[in-house]
Amino acid sequence: MGKDRDAEYRSKVSGYYHQLMEQCQANMDRMDRELPRAREDFGEILKERGVTRRNFLKWTSAMTAALMLPPIFKPMVARAAENFSRLPVVWLHFAECTGCSESFLRTSYPNVDDILLDTISLEYHETLMAAAGYQAEANLEKALKDFPGKFVCVIEGAIPMGLDGKYLTLGPKGKTALELGREVTSKAAATICIGSCSCFGNIQAAKPNPTDAKGIRDALHISTVNIAGCPPSPQNFVGTILHFLMFGGMPPLDSLGRPVWAYGKRIHDYCERRPHYDAGEYVEEWGDDGAKKGWCLYKMGCKGPYTYSNCARIRFNDGMSWPIMAGHGCMGCTEPAFWDTMAPLEKPISEKPIGGWGVTARVDSLGAALTGAAIVGIAAHAGLTAAKGHGQPKKAEPDKESHE
Amino acid sequence: MDTRTAIKEWSLAIRVNHWIMVICIFGLIITGFYIAHPFTVPAGETIDKFFMGYARFVHLIFGVILTFIFLWRVYLAFFSRFHADWKDFLAWTDWKNFWTQIKFYLLVSEKKPEHKFLYGPLQSVAYGGLLAMLVVVVITGVILMGVEYSLGVTGVAYAAVKPIQNMLGGLATVRFIHHIFTWLIILFVVVHIYMAFWYDVVFKEGTISSMVGGRVFRKPHD
Ligand code: HEM
Ligand code: SF4
Ligand code: SF4
Repeated sequence: MGKDRDAEYRSKVSGYYHQLMEQCQANMDRMDRELPRAREDFGEILKERGVTRRNFLKWTSAMTAALMLPPIFKPMVARAAENFSRLPVVWLHFAECTGCSESFLRTSYPNVDDILLDTISLEYHETLMAAAGYQAEANLEKALKDFPGKFVCVIEGAIPMGLDGKYLTLGPKGKTALELGREVTSKAAATICIGSCSCFGNIQAAKPNPTDAKGIRDALHISTVNIAGCPPSPQNFVGTILHFLMFGGMPPLDSLGRPVWAYGKRIHDYCERRPHYDAGEYVEEWGDDGAKKGWCLYKMGCKGPYTYSNCARIRFNDGMSWPIMAGHGCMGCTEPAFWDTMAPLEKPISEKPIGGWGVTARVDSLGAALTGAAIVGIAAHAGLTAAKGHGQPKKAEPDKESHE
Repeated sequence: MDTRTAIKEWSLAIRVNHWIMVICIFGLIITGFYIAHPFTVPAGETIDKFFMGYARFVHLIFGVILTFIFLWRVYLAFFSRFHADWKDFLAWTDWKNFWTQIKFYLLVSEKKPEHKFLYGPLQSVAYGGLLAMLVVVVITGVILMGVEYSLGVTGVAYAAVKPIQNMLGGLATVRFIHHIFTWLIILFVVVHIYMAFWYDVVFKEGTISSMVGGRVFRKPHD
């Protein structure tokens, strides 16, 4: 019985993956035909940068697993990586700090993700391109004309909606981010938002949000793939593009537009300090004994329990470390409005002040004060009730009560 | 001497419901505050300790029981065979009586409010308010639980309330609201316990014992 069901399960699963493989192959053949030719040979680039074949294979295994695909897909991932630089990309910068580009492009020693990002075919990238002014504008127009419906639009940064979008104008013609965003995304095969600014508005949209900044989804009312994070891990972007190259579409998304393979679980679910959380072992102040022993950072304001991301699994800088490993709590940077909802960043959420109209207090102080006031009120009420003989028949007018 | 008759006011179901709810709410407040402000368990090896784990386990057990107790209470309000009391939650709509009751409770008037419904106007607001607060803690609680336990009934319940998680702006806010409502429930509990004793003393109807035995002792014409 159990064996039969196992067998049935296995045949179902392998059937599913066979189908997926066929779909993947068909799509990659199509991409091979349709994509513009590579400018440089990927194998050569890897060799130049000192990535051995062995390292590349190790990377394909890791990436296949990260994408939640079985090992038979490794060759497909490798093939998609070879095609990576053939996908035309238009990269727009709106209201942001360029930190995401920085973190993707400046690495001390290159790993495959970084090389992929370095060789990505940027038809237009406001920070990196050599062109300026009208020439840059011409590049953008050319890209839109050459690859209509074929290029991927990557957006870094929020769109300020206030003043009709005039808080942010770009280029020689002074187009607003709102106009440019509409124009480019309407011609793109897909729009990928890099970083929490373009996903959810991030710090530009934090209270009081003077420019009425919004994430791309909310600003343009289009569906986007949100690679959230401040900055996001390069792998989450690379993996999403690889998925696009392999299957011709974007990976399954959660209700906030984030790829489930990367943002399906919370930091807290995979955190290496989690056993200390469950045991009841917490860092009580920076640098104390618990901190040295690597205990849980919950009381130092870790927001891992509220944050969906795979930082704990893939880490940063080629798997070297990640924030919680380095000793600071998670700030919740992949969640909408995290500056507001996760504040104070170095205190637990229960220490968040409550109030308004100029008066704020910790919930617990407020709650304790109100409860204290209630108890004082009760004592006074009880005393007065007894003193007055409240509600009891009065000696002087014994009958009045009972007639009511 | 007073002549009083015993009137059955609370069905067994309501009494059982009430006391289980009491146990759950106290258990939830205690374990909830540990979850919000945990202290470090100093002695022993990590592998032998599971304090937060147990605190959360107990919280969730009480939370699940409270969820069902709450649903049962709402069911009783509409379908109790003894006395479906949903109409009594509207006692506050009698504004005149409401005012009379407020004045009597604030000790400024000796005129007692009339006994028209199972609950007085103030009680109807307080108990309706408690049920509303329970709706909030149950929904936010089920979200916080479903995040981690996504199988079976929890998974189904979580799927139903998941949109609320995004609507509220993420788990941090869900947790914060859960915490705020903990304090509102504490305030309710403090005032409720006092008022029950006060009512017992002032009206001498055996209010406190009625939640155990089910009967109040009332003057016939009241
Ligand atoms: C009278 C009712 C309740 C009270 C007073 C209460 C109290 C609390 C408190 C104070 C916290 C900590 C919040 C913080 O960190 O700021 C908490 C967390 C939590 N509560 Fe409740 N709660 C109640 C009902 C429920 C119910 C009905 C459920 C579920 C069915 C539930 C599930 C949870 C969960 C899952 C957590 C988070 C635990 C974690 O993330 O580790 N609670 N509760
Ligand atoms: S450090 Fe943060 S994410 Fe890790 S177990 Fe503690 S609370 Fe959870
Ligand atoms: S650990 Fe948290 S704050 Fe740090 S990058 Fe990951 S999601 Fe963002």
